[in-house]
Amino acid sequence: MEKQVIISISREYGSGGHEIAEKIANNLGINFYDRSMLDDLAKEKNLQVEELEKYDEKPRRLFASRRVGEHTNSMEEIVAQMQFDYLREKADSGESFVIVGRCAETVLQGREGLISIFILGDTEQKIMRIEEKYHLSKQDAILKIKRHDKHRKQYHNRHSSGRWGDSRYYDICINDSKLGVDKTTEVLMFFIEERIK
Amino acid sequence: MVAQILAVVIFVAMFLLIVMDKIERHIVTLACGLATLVLVFGVAMQSMEAIMETLSFRGIFTVGFWYAGARAEESSSGINWATIIFIFGMMVMVEGMAKAGFFRWLCMLLAKMVHYKPVPLFLTFMVMSAVLAMFIDSITVILFLAAVTVELAKLLKFNPVPMILSEIFCANLGGSATMCGDPPNIIIGTSLEYSFTDFVMNTGVIAGISLILVIVYFYFACGRQMATESSGAVDTANIPEPKDAIQNKKDFIISCIIFAAAVIMLVTHAQTGLTVAFIGAVIAIITLITSGTYALELLKKVDYKTLLFFIGLFAVVGGLEQTGILEKIAAFIGEISGGNLMLMVAIIIWVSAIASAFVDNIPFAATMIPVVKSLAATQGVSLDTLAWALSMGTDIGGSATPIGASANVVGTSVAAKNGYIIGWGKYCKVAAPATILVVFVSMVIIFIRYC
Repeated sequence: MEKQVIISISREYGSGGHEIAEKIANNLGINFYDRSMLDDLAKEKNLQVEELEKYDEKPRRLFASRRVGEHTNSMEEIVAQMQFDYLREKADSGESFVIVGRCAETVLQGREGLISIFILGDTEQKIMRIEEKYHLSKQDAILKIKRHDKHRKQYHNRHSSGRWGDSRYYDICINDSKLGVDKTTEVLMFFIEERIK
Repeated sequence: MVAQILAVVIFVAMFLLIVMDKIERHIVTLACGLATLVLVFGVAMQSMEAIMETLSFRGIFTVGFWYAGARAEESSSGINWATIIFIFGMMVMVEGMAKAGFFRWLCMLLAKMVHYKPVPLFLTFMVMSAVLAMFIDSITVILFLAAVTVELAKLLKFNPVPMILSEIFCANLGGSATMCGDPPNIIIGTSLEYSFTDFVMNTGVIAGISLILVIVYFYFACGRQMATESSGAVDTANIPEPKDAIQNKKDFIISCIIFAAAVIMLVTHAQTGLTVAFIGAVIAIITLITSGTYALELLKKVDYKTLLFFIGLFAVVGGLEQTGILEKIAAFIGEISGGNLMLMVAIIIWVSAIASAFVDNIPFAATMIPVVKSLAATQGVSLDTLAWALSMGTDIGGSATPIGASANVVGTSVAAKNGYIIGWGKYCKVAAPATILVVFVSMVIIFIRYC
């Protein structure tokens, strides 16, 4: 790909946004980053990846950490900053990639090749997907979705001036329950191709 | 009554907003300070005098503000401008020293002197942390010490976490030894008119005895483990030379002279009559003049947010003071202690220590100063004794948890960014027993010496 393209995909838990992001990366033949970037970071810092995963895309614990100037001892925020720096480095290198979550639309805001997408889904569809994927009861699936979305929202809004899922803040927002994962991917591919022409 | 309720509501809201960290803390204290001036003093009390006393502008223009020999009648209530000017001066000086490479040079020099051996390094850095923190803010001390510790740990292949934990503890302990070491001491000193020597002869002695105990404690808690873990053979070929840290020899010499001058002025200020506000202002002016074209850059680097945080904080605490809330707290402590000085000391030191372990010790100390003042006046006990108990409690209590003091936050943050995660468990396991030990020893010394 001649011109740099960075596609940031934010998503509701259980919406299938992650799957769509992977398909877009495959279609465009560009790198795909999600929590797997923690593997690189763990290697660089000489840590077990599990130590970083505990803090991935989580809001800081209110009474357990403090900030002094630019220093914080919230591991959630330190891991977030490590990921933001990682993304900036990738973007600075001229690489094209798809990134899921990690406030990428804020971190990489203003970059010429950035296309920001938010994927949401109907509640029933999301519950069904989580029930199936994790073999959970309906009640447990609902609780899991609520918990994850709450964390994502808090995490996003902590690091961004825009609100998580606010349509004014993304290039395109789409409900993939209406067309399904494949058709939604096609719609988004059309949008992306038109943007990078 | 309305004024008292408003003052308490504003104070509690300020504390909660600081903890929540959604809004920058200087904006929180300034907004709450403004609310105190308008709502508590303006609307509820309708007292222009209370506003003027809290703003404390008049004091700055008296000779006594700059020269203690000509001390004018002044109130310790409200915004403590002496503290703010002194901290500003020290910030300018420390920026100049950091730019010249002083701190890195000192760390590398001491590391070289002990031949980069982990255990001597561990012990030397503890002492250096305590000594530097006596004169320089603990954030700067830990920022440089932790960074050099991580760098040396990577080169010498040892685990830097025990060293960083011991350095943090010693920075907080060293800060308690002098008037300028820790913000609560600056506030206590300027509000209650204690000199640098007063602190050294009282909290300094306690801190000195505690430092010996703490070195022994940390050696047995972590140092021995370091000795067994370290490989023994040290390849020093890749370690930077101390002189490499010096950015510019002329700046380095100037910064050393200014630092020495600051120390001399502070140590002798009881004799010379110069106030800490004067010393801060002079140090800032000399640093700026000698920095030449870099002066503007130095001024830009000053942490104005912290200074604004202090201004707002003093105004909010002024609200509690002017409405008589703090006198009620003092009366309550007096009542439950039954006028027994030992019990008062125990309450002040342990409550201060426990509170400082979880909340910022600066607002706590600022709030407690009028309380101990009132307690001393109403119960007829020695203000000095209560002040030293407050100082040791707030300064040392903050060491117990990763959020207790600024140095803890900076140290654990530097470690984590370099891949050494220090969680609450790891931190408290080492630091909490040391904190309890030092608070207990401090209490016993105060009992023996003053009660």
